[in-house]
Amino acid sequence: MSEVTARGTAGTAIVVDGVSKKFRLFHERNQTLKSAIMRGRRIVADDFWAVRDVSFEVPQGQTFGLIGRNGSGKSTLLKTLARIYQPDEGRVVMSGRVSSMLEVGSGFHPELSGRENIFLNGSILGLTRKQVTARFDEIVDFSGVEAFIDQPVKNYSSGMYVRLGFAVAVHTEPDILIVDEILSVGDGAFREKSRKKFAEFTGQGRTVILVSHSLAQIRDMCQQVAWLHAGRLRAIGATEDVVEAYEASIEAEST
Amino acid sequence: MSYGRELIATRELLLNLTMREVKGQYRRTALGQLWSIINPLATMVVYTLVFSLLLRSEPPPGDPSGLDVYALWLMCGLLPWTYFTRVVNGGVASITSNAGLIKKVYFPRMHLPLSITLSTAITFGVELGVLTIALWVFGGFPLPWLPLVMIAVVILAMFATGLAMMLAILNVHFRDTQHFVSILLPMWMFLTPIIYPFSLVEAAAERTGAWVLTVFELNPMLHIVQVFRTLLYDNALPGQLDWLAAILAASVVFSLGYLVFSRNERRLAELL
Repeated sequence: MSEVTARGTAGTAIVVDGVSKKFRLFHERNQTLKSAIMRGRRIVADDFWAVRDVSFEVPQGQTFGLIGRNGSGKSTLLKTLARIYQPDEGRVVMSGRVSSMLEVGSGFHPELSGRENIFLNGSILGLTRKQVTARFDEIVDFSGVEAFIDQPVKNYSSGMYVRLGFAVAVHTEPDILIVDEILSVGDGAFREKSRKKFAEFTGQGRTVILVSHSLAQIRDMCQQVAWLHAGRLRAIGATEDVVEAYEASIEAEST
Repeated sequence: MSYGRELIATRELLLNLTMREVKGQYRRTALGQLWSIINPLATMVVYTLVFSLLLRSEPPPGDPSGLDVYALWLMCGLLPWTYFTRVVNGGVASITSNAGLIKKVYFPRMHLPLSITLSTAITFGVELGVLTIALWVFGGFPLPWLPLVMIAVVILAMFATGLAMMLAILNVHFRDTQHFVSILLPMWMFLTPIIYPFSLVEAAAERTGAWVLTVFELNPMLHIVQVFRTLLYDNALPGQLDWLAAILAASVVFSLGYLVFSRNERRLAELL
């Protein structure tokens, strides 16, 4: 994977080239030694292609949206981009440091304080201790949990928990940020703050790729959108064109 | 980027995961880190009662240290064994118990079992420190041997981690593994001369045949425990065969574990 970053030039941030990802569907979802032995060598799994031969490029400094119905392969594709899944076919090339926000606060330890968890979560997302220290005040300020920063996070309200996780993730300052359905975090004021942060992000030549079911949000934030249907790329292009076509297909189906 | 270089580049994460284990473990307990001392002490009392007082297990006195205290002799073998089981048990479960994290963020997964190895090493270090003081109080001179003990700790840690990494991968496929391991480890302990002296094995071999000795000697933990005990209790240099067997077993098992784990780690997220 390329580690070279050419931030500022209008290059390509992400190249997705013929990516396919399959899962094995076991008829007997029984992962025990006994069932493996009883099965013997019979194959009882079917291949299910969650993502099939998807190719596109995302230019630098853009917010790129992925839309599609439930089960269309958006999240699988996103996880492949985030290196959590390995594609079975094709390849993904990312230029620069990648950070993913598929779930905020993953890796928080409930018994540890907010402060300790910021350092823990920061390093899970690829920051050094120095970098976290440098951004610590900004993170706390953004999350709005100053008063409780030395309390164990298990005592946090769900909103505080998510806001703190979100604050750490946006402050990792990656070249490419992968976001899954988490922009609905917090109250109106916090959402507005997040939206501004994302605008600032792309303004600095960083790239954001996001999945959302909120078409209003997609329209608001994305310059380009890819529409996935049953694992394949149905359409890609300027946000308005693709979202309109998508809405039309949903309407056609529901009438 | 090769897997090894990626591990090194993200070493701070390993440190933080280790601290998460250390700090999280005894949170909300009144005695805190003291528990890591109380635990082996309690075991020591019970084993000493049963095996020294009732069953009259009499290990030979330390040579040349002159120590002749069953409880101390026991701990010189039991503490390394306890560390071994903590690393294996913790390591085996480290992948499945962090499934949420693995499915949501990418990082080199090997840091999970490694963080167990390191966090339990801190406990082990404290225990060894207390034991060293006790040995010294009772008339031994363990201090000059501590550098070699450190090497033995590294050997033991590598052996345990290698095994833990292989079993952790197996546990993702078959959750039976961790239950199997929790049965196997106590059995393994009783087949290793930890609570009884090796001389009992030699005596049994004389009665039933030399094959008994061979079987026991094939157990790498026998040699590792022997290294610890010779250094700490006898205050002598362990035999070449014990060193060699311990180093060989640790290198082979760790390399295998590393290979198995790094080959399989990219698929962990979808298997969990």
